[in-house]
Amino acid sequence: MLKHLLLALAACGIVAAGPCMAHAKLQSSTPANDAHLREAPRTLTLNFSEAAKLAVLKLVRDGKELPVPLDKNAQAGRTFTLMLPLLTPGNYTVQWAAVAADDGHVTKGSFAFSIA
Amino acid sequence: MEIGGWDIAAALAKAVTYAATFGAAGAVLFLLYCRAQLKDRQRALIRRLIGVLVGVAAVTGMLRILLLSGSLSGEFSGMVDSTFTGMILRAGEGRATGLRMAGLALMLFAFSTNPVLGRFAILGAVAASTSFAWVGHVHGLLPNTAATVLLCLHLLCAAFWLGALPPLLIIAAGANVSQIAAAAARFGTLALRVVALLLAAGASLLLMLIGDAAQFWAGAYGRLMALKLLAVAALLGAAAWNKLHLTPGLLRGDARAAELFRRSVLAEMGVGALILLTTAAFTSLAGPP
Repeated sequence: MLKHLLLALAACGIVAAGPCMAHAKLQSSTPANDAHLREAPRTLTLNFSEAAKLAVLKLVRDGKELPVPLDKNAQAGRTFTLMLPLLTPGNYTVQWAAVAADDGHVTKGSFAFSIA
Repeated sequence: MEIGGWDIAAALAKAVTYAATFGAAGAVLFLLYCRAQLKDRQRALIRRLIGVLVGVAAVTGMLRILLLSGSLSGEFSGMVDSTFTGMILRAGEGRATGLRMAGLALMLFAFSTNPVLGRFAILGAVAASTSFAWVGHVHGLLPNTAATVLLCLHLLCAAFWLGALPPLLIIAAGANVSQIAAAAARFGTLALRVVALLLAAGASLLLMLIGDAAQFWAGAYGRLMALKLLAVAALLGAAAWNKLHLTPGLLRGDARAAELFRRSVLAEMGVGALILLTTAAFTSLAGPP
């Protein structure tokens, strides 16, 4: 009886289960990774593969962190747009860390862009 | 995903939490199922083991939350930053950890000789061992009810099987051959069904998570899963040898079988540790594609 119930449950699960979204991966950003810009961007946008809470965002130039306001109490979402300070020409690195809203896993990454 | 020292430390803490939680839960279930085959001294030793493992699981479970917070911030100060710990707890770890702590506390009723209070220990064993199902990759499946139920079953069966090994070692270390034989035979009878359930639930979950098979097995998650499956196969082989060769020898009164049984249980504990380490790695440091 238990064996039949388990088989039925497993079959339902396999048939009904849709795609698995695991870990909030950064799908795209604006500026994009390795972008070479002529003008300084005023905003930074991160697009994730699933809803997440953005916990950390650091903008670094020449080893120095620049202030970027981040609301850590914001609702989980797939897209985050942050205001940037006035940026001068140079090479920039963005370091981010997020917590996926569904599976609770921490993901981290970084990308870079430059302003001519 | 970028992986650093914080993430590895958090995964190690998870592996130890798995081992201690399953060890305590399995020992509680072993006390219930093999009670008649145990002497008072062995029951006391197993209860003491439960107490130690409950403590370890509670500490490493909390430590893991702090390490995840540290991982988020990248700094030691982040470990005690309530903003980061709050994010971790609200994303599912709070639910899972709360259930586990409640289960661990209930397992301390194993120290009571009152059979009514002893039932709370069993409830605690079920709650603690299945707590890991309330956060993680299955919650990325849409819908996830069946997967969560299957994972709970998989975890409970794993706790019964792996958690029985330390008590079996306690028995094998000091008992006479006939007592070892009685305990091994008694455990082996139910273990056969439990292992079948564990494998069925695990296989079903794997099919749900795989998606694109080629992409799955090529990625880090798939490779670690393959390592786990190899270790499970080795454990199954050892268990089969115990059941089909050593236990009959023990029942015949073969003293050499007793020593081989003790070594086999030790080896199984080593393989079990590898399974838990691998599981902690692919559930923490990687994800299904």
